[in-house]
Order: sequence, then C-alpha cells, then structure tokens
Amino acid sequence: MNRASLHFLLAALIAIALPLFMRSGTLASEVLIFAMAAAACNLLLGYTGLLSFGQGIFFGLGSYAAGLTLLHTSLPLALALVLSAITGAVVATGVGWLSIRRQGVYFVMLTLAFSQFFYFLAYTFKDITGGDNGLLNIPRPAIGPFSLGDSWTYYGFVAVLFLLLFAALQRVASSTFGRTLLAVRDNEERARAIGFPVRDFKITAFAISGAVTGLAGALHALLIGVAPLSNIEYHMSESILIMTIIGGTGNLFASVLGAGFYVIVSDLLSSIWPRWLLLLGGLLIVVALFMQKGLWGLLERLVEALPMGRKSSTKSSIEAPIQPESQGRGI
Amino acid sequence: MSTQTPILAADKLSVRYGSFLALSDVTLSIKPNTIHSVIGPNGAGKTTLFHALTGRVRASSGRITLDGRDITHVSDDKRVPLGIARSFQVTSLFQNLNVRENLRLAAQGRTPLQALAPWRGVNPRDNALAVADEVMERLELTHVSDRAAGELSHGQQRRLEVGMAVAAKPRLILLDEPTSGMGIDDVEAMKALIRDLGRDHTVLFIEHNMSIVMNISDTVTVMRAGRVLVEGPPAVVRDDPEVRRAYLGNMITGDIA
Repeated sequence: MNRASLHFLLAALIAIALPLFMRSGTLASEVLIFAMAAAACNLLLGYTGLLSFGQGIFFGLGSYAAGLTLLHTSLPLALALVLSAITGAVVATGVGWLSIRRQGVYFVMLTLAFSQFFYFLAYTFKDITGGDNGLLNIPRPAIGPFSLGDSWTYYGFVAVLFLLLFAALQRVASSTFGRTLLAVRDNEERARAIGFPVRDFKITAFAISGAVTGLAGALHALLIGVAPLSNIEYHMSESILIMTIIGGTGNLFASVLGAGFYVIVSDLLSSIWPRWLLLLGGLLIVVALFMQKGLWGLLERLVEALPMGRKSSTKSSIEAPIQPESQGRGI
Repeated sequence: MSTQTPILAADKLSVRYGSFLALSDVTLSIKPNTIHSVIGPNGAGKTTLFHALTGRVRASSGRITLDGRDITHVSDDKRVPLGIARSFQVTSLFQNLNVRENLRLAAQGRTPLQALAPWRGVNPRDNALAVADEVMERLELTHVSDRAAGELSHGQQRRLEVGMAVAAKPRLILLDEPTSGMGIDDVEAMKALIRDLGRDHTVLFIEHNMSIVMNISDTVTVMRAGRVLVEGPPAVVRDDPEVRRAYLGNMITGDIA
C-alpha cells in the first residue's frame, strides 16, 4: 500500500472512530470540518510555502454564502454548498493574485490586511451579514431523502464530504501540479528558470484552498445554524493556521490530526479553565521549538520506535519533502 | 559554423541597475551549433548578460532576438519553451526533491501548462520522466537518482545543475560558470561534458578556467566593465594585445583566478 492510500485509510478510520468515542455529534462534525480547512491551509503552507492569514476570509464567506442562499432562496442544500465553494475560490483567487505580488513577510502582511478588510466589511454590512450577531436561524434542509436534523446524521453527511474532499486534495497534492508546488516551495527562482509560470501555480493553489475552505465554512454554519462574525475574524485564520502547524506540514493527513487535536483539546480545556488559550499558546511554542514536523512527526517517530513499524515508515523524498531544516523557508 | 543567421543575437543591449550601468551596448551574436564562451574579470557584466538573455533581468535598452524573432519582452519562464535554458553560477536546485524529480520538473518546464492541471497524475510512461532518465544517464547521476539533491556531493550538484538546463531540451544552453568550486577531476569531466553538449546544442558559457575556454570554444567574447572588449576565435583572443594588457596576461599563463 502506498502512502496516499494509507493516509486515506487513516482519515477514514478517524471518521469512523469519532462517533464511537465522542458523545457530541456537533463536536465530531467540527473536527472534520476543521480538518478540511486545515488540509486546505496545508496545501498553501506545506506544499507551496505560503503562510496565509487569509483562510478565515474564505471560511467566513463560505458561511455567509451558504447562510444567505438557504435563508433567502429555495435552492437545495447541495447548490448552497457549491456556491460557498465558488465564493471561496473566487475571493481566494483575488486575494492570492494581489498578495503573491510580494514575498516573505510582505506577503504575510498583505493576507493579514485582507483578513482585517473582509472582517470589517462583514461587520459594516449588518443588513446582509447580521454584523455582530451573525446570520441567524440558518435552516439545515434535507439532502435528497436524508433529513439532516439529527446531529449524528449531519455528522455522517459531513464525514462523506470530508472523505471525498480529502481524496480530492490528495489527488491534487500528488498530481504534476502538486509536485510543481513542492518545487516552488523549495526554490521559486529555479522553478521560474526552468519554465514554470510560478504566479499561475500559486494563484491556482489559492483557488483550490479557498474552495475547500469556503465549503468547510458553509458546513460549519449549517452545523451551528448561524454564520457568526467570528467565522470571518482574524482569529479564525489564526486557529486554522495553528491546527495546520500543530499537525505538521509534511502531508495532508497531518492536518486532520492537527484539527482533531485542536478542536478536542480546546473543548476539554475550555470546560475546566477559561484561560485555556494560554495552554494552547504554550503548546504552539513547544511545537515550534522541538517538533517542527508537528503531531505527525511525533507519530512517525513513535511508529519508527516500534520494531514492526520500521519498514512502513520509509520516506520517499517526493511524498515527504519537507525536512525540518527547511521549515519556514518560503514563509 | 558558416555565415548562418545567429541563433541568438543581442543588439546594443544595456542593463541599468539604478545609476549603475551593468551592461552597456553589448552586441553579440551566437552562431548555431557552436560553443561560445564569455570571459572577463569579476564585475565585467557576464552574469548580467546571462540574466538579460534568459529574461530574468529586463533589458533597459537594446534588442534580443532568437532565430530572428524579437524576444526582448518575453518573460523568463516563456523563453524556456522557445528553446533557451540555463544553469546557475551558484547551485540552485530543489534541495529536498530527489535527482529524478529535479530533472523531471526541468523537462516538464518545456510544457508548463500541462502541469497546471491539478487532477493529472505523473504517468510512469511520462515523456518528462524518460527525459529525466536520459539526462541522468548522460551526466552519470543514475546511481543517485533517488537521493535528495541537497545530499549530493558538490561535484554531483554541479553536474545536476547543468543537467537541469539539458533536461529542458533546449537548442541554446547557457551555463554560468559550470566548474565553479569544482575539484580538478571534476573539472576535466565537466570539460568533456560541455564539449559533448556542443554536439547537439548551441552552448554559451561563462568560465574562468582558461584551459577549458581556450580548448573547447569556437568563439570567445571578452568582456570588461559591462562592454565587449574583443570577440573572436580562441587563438586570436589569446594574442590580442589589448586583451593581454587589459586582463588576460597572467591568466593565460595558467594563473587562474
């Protein structure tokens, strides 16, 4: 079995295991929704070397797009989701197109500026977005014959979409396109010198990332029945980035781990201590200092420590291209 | 080597960085299927000339033509499909990717838009893969095909650096100091390689090693302070009094910088 199928199998196992170990269908759905957002973020950060603070924009706009469609039109749920993905892709194309004109810190600052811009846009146009209160009472219509009213049924729906999108992202990552992204991440100058229009590749990566993030945002709005202002806030971008980094940027499955860890640990900590974010900050420092390959790297080391696991963890330099030494190069 | 139209020609090419004129009215013409070298002291503008010819730096004035077609305003990545490929003076590889993948990417760069399709996988019978294998064979890198480029020895990295240009299947290949930092044994191998490349490509290269320049070039262009000083066959350049006075004298006798 190759690495991609192994990772897909692990993702499927997680989707199956969550209902067995968790009491709340809402929380379980949240894990998979953020897993999609983090995997999309990973496509930019881990594969292209772009540290984008704009992921919250696409997530938030996806929430609004789905909410507005379902509140004001009688379009079916599937179409509402498609519209959110398109919204995410279109806006991400625009944000990407403008931001990649600058590199390094300036790129990051531009995405941050866009993040603030869209937040205040959502805040200002209260009539459309509900401003501070958010867009309330978003219905969750049935999809075909399946009613999604129950939180676990909805989880099943999310899980199917999650696995489809995860497989699609895996396909993207292993395509000639994804492999060129890795080259861009490694050495942008050489990528251009051998003939690749690097900007087109970065913009396409943004569009794909935006589409998946927008869809995740829509699923989140349907989950809680609200498209809150916090979905488009800078803090959302930050959370998605933290999940991605905690999980590890070497492969897409790592983002699933990161999102699961973040969502579940936040839930546990917030119930025992209101200042739980402090602990998460501490954890991020530990990851940055001691485990730059994130939770996935930790898992890999554990598997390698088992006598049985040695063979299966052999790395090919194409599929596990990001060495800890090169972390942060493209950022 | 007759009076054919040049494959690449620069006409009064100038490049200005702020108030500094790095390249001043350089006129150059590269005949097809020749090995053409560019020499000159540091700061003569050799690398800037390469940057301008490959499109990495925009010409401030002047014209560049490829087979008579004006490419002055064609961007660097778009010049690759037209048949121009280069190597760098300072090794510039995809350090974390393996040798085969480095070369596959370089071969794919000829048809970059094919790679823009996010659903298309890498077919094992892919043309780019075949080219990568062929180039590895030619550069004696087959035994390290699965090693990350960053793990190779310096000599191997320099060979791969040249290979990245070869994999684009260019008609004109530009090599910027291919022997830079190499040990003596590797230098001989590189000399043989450049001569070999000259059989099926037009080669333009910058070099400080006079034994290579004088041995394998058909034409030598001497640059100084952003201008062309002299151009001609090695024997003529070697004996040119102005060249000897201005720059070469000690280098020709073997004192290589």
